Amino acid sequence: MYISIQDVCFSYPNSEGYALDQFSIDIEKGEVISILGRSGSGKSTVLRLLAGLENPTRGSFTIQEEVMFDQKAFLQPEKRGIGMVFQDYALFPHMSVSENILFGLFNMKKADKKKRLQEVLELVELQEFSNRYPHQLSGGQQQRVAIARAIAPNPHLILLDEPFSNLDAELQVKIRKDLRFILKKANITSIFVTHDENDAHALADRIVKLKDGSIELIGQPCDLLRNHTSTNVAGEITLQAKEFVKV
Amino acid sequence: MANVNSWTVLAGIIIILLFLPNLTIISGIFTPSNENWEHMKEFVLTTYIKNSFILIGFTAVLTIIIGLSLAWMIARYQFPFHRFLKWALILPLSIPPFIGAYTYHGIVSYTGVVQTTLREHFGLELNPVYFDIMNLPGAIFIYTIFLYPYVYTITRVFLSQQSASLIESARVLGKGPWQVFFQVVIPVSRVSIIGGASLVVLEVLNDYGVVKYYGIQTFSTAIFQTWFGLGDIDSAIKLAASLMGIVIIILMVEKLLRGRRQYSYSTTKVRPLPRIQLKGAKAFFASVYCFVILSLGFFIPVLQLVDWLILTFGKIPMDEFLIYVKNSVLVAGISATCIVVFALIVGNFGRLVHGKFAKLLPKLTILGYSIPGAVIAVAVVTAFIALDRFLAPLYQVLGANSTLVLSVSLVMLITAYIIRFFAIGYNSIEAGYDKIGTDFRDASRSLGVGLTKTFFKVDVPMMKGAIISVFILVFIDILKEIPLTLILRPFNFDTLSTKAFQYASDEKIMEASQASLLIVCLSAIAIIIFNKFLDKEPK
Repeated sequence: MYISIQDVCFSYPNSEGYALDQFSIDIEKGEVISILGRSGSGKSTVLRLLAGLENPTRGSFTIQEEVMFDQKAFLQPEKRGIGMVFQDYALFPHMSVSENILFGLFNMKKADKKKRLQEVLELVELQEFSNRYPHQLSGGQQQRVAIARAIAPNPHLILLDEPFSNLDAELQVKIRKDLRFILKKANITSIFVTHDENDAHALADRIVKLKDGSIELIGQPCDLLRNHTSTNVAGEITLQAKEFVKV
Repeated sequence: MANVNSWTVLAGIIIILLFLPNLTIISGIFTPSNENWEHMKEFVLTTYIKNSFILIGFTAVLTIIIGLSLAWMIARYQFPFHRFLKWALILPLSIPPFIGAYTYHGIVSYTGVVQTTLREHFGLELNPVYFDIMNLPGAIFIYTIFLYPYVYTITRVFLSQQSASLIESARVLGKGPWQVFFQVVIPVSRVSIIGGASLVVLEVLNDYGVVKYYGIQTFSTAIFQTWFGLGDIDSAIKLAASLMGIVIIILMVEKLLRGRRQYSYSTTKVRPLPRIQLKGAKAFFASVYCFVILSLGFFIPVLQLVDWLILTFGKIPMDEFLIYVKNSVLVAGISATCIVVFALIVGNFGRLVHGKFAKLLPKLTILGYSIPGAVIAVAVVTAFIALDRFLAPLYQVLGANSTLVLSVSLVMLITAYIIRFFAIGYNSIEAGYDKIGTDFRDASRSLGVGLTKTFFKVDVPMMKGAIISVFILVFIDILKEIPLTLILRPFNFDTLSTKAFQYASDEKIMEASQASLLIVCLSAIAIIIFNKFLDKEPK
């Protein structure tokens, strides 16, 4: 299995009970996983744990057999090779688009860096914006820079925290499409968290439903749709899911 | 967790070094009390407490009113002389309060310019009591008018760099300028306001020059009297411990006020606040208000000092003065650099660690600011003599003639400055860290960049404004510092402030003007550089 996450538990200091309880999932290479849940369900905690920004109480996490954390080891975030796109993008305001993207490519040779920069700029269709600064870009463009920056070092896994929450509705539909296209074209394994069922159904290969820190359901979007009680919403989602399955 | 550990070790060493003098004071509490202390406790301690609280209370309120109103006007509105006023309003910080105190006393005294003009040009012979400022209200006026820039600077930087969307969304939600100010600006800038005001309060509690000159009994004057007048260091330390108690209460109140409301950008997209053009009477009154404050805090005392300088020029040789300038810049520059570096390290440690105890550790270091300079001096001298004794065999190997090396060097004075002024650096750096939040750091780490490299490539560039503010604030404060420099300077080492203080204490007020004006000039140059850096909008 490409990625294996087993029995991960986490609790915040000074709080009783687990914010995340026995979270387990195996993920194939290139798969797009969506973690769906209401706020406070523990979905962002999953991302922070996988990125190495929080220490788990117990459990294990491996990528291609390499241990990210288990009972004995804890690999620092910078050693994991996991990219992350933050909810509000966290683009460094003192760096241009190209400087932001080049930031994580410090191990490459100069010529390789240049080539990789062009590749990812092309992938996100922002070639002509390379010298702009984050505040000179629209919300959608900023998001694409954040994705390009996270993808550039060729991470094993990319994590996206509520990738559409800062975008307007019209843009959301377009960006969903773009994002799935980018992720699939780059064949990057990804996990994104969202509270929006439409996002999850439209973008993901598999959906993990979280409730109060525990997994409630795991399945493909169409499997979960069968369990969906609201036919109207399900109908709308089906249409969108079909549209994106074509991509 | 190798990176976290190296930050922890570094921060731990700094915290221990900065906290050591506090231990001297704490241990002093447990020494048996003597007759002097019993007498003070019975008769005068209440007066010290009452006077100190009146001074800090009124000064805090007035500096917040003036500092915040100026910060908001400059950050939000455009009016005549805006560009000049933006940096000039920091200038009062370049005048040490004790120089301001004797200058204002000179201005309103019987032979001063105000009463002389009234008598000679208007034939008015008013009761001199009306012009007496050597009392509590007078001291509050002096502190307010020379210390408000602490609140102004920190709050203005915060307001002009904070996400403009908060203010704009309030406007869109139907709030007028006043409602925006009271319902949005004050709450979101509370951390900066309280940070600035707490610096003012600590500065007032530690001041010696103004209260000594105006004859007001406070903890500072009492500590000096007890130490130098009665020769009773034990009682002086007990007084310092009481003062520390007050400071701990103030710090706890500060924590309470801002602890639960730590604001960082809810979005990491930083956009400068656009300014609104004022017109007509509003523009006129905005300019007048700023100029009145600036005149009281800078132009009036400086004009008086220039007048005195003209009357006394040439009495002190210029080459002698150039040495004082060099000495002042040297010690202030080295100390301010060390404070910036240490504050960044300890502040970053505070961000990296979890748990209440670990978060409290950095706060311990700023207690140094609560201890009067003279008491820090005793603690530092004691520590350095012990260190010299310990290192004596090494000195012999290196062929030194004396067993006292460090304790007669500038290292001791600089160490004392760092302990004394660390709070200024730490508070502003911590506010800067609060403001940028942790998303940028986490983003950098997720891109494979370690904590230390992230610190230099992300945190430091994003904190440039705060770092420069800290450097300038500390630099200016050290230029003006008196008791530590007087006691700990190496033999024959004079700075501008020690010279100015010596002349003023000897009632040679006019002769003090030359050194005082040089302090003001150096500080003013530093402020102009400061303004140049802060003025650079994000690219």
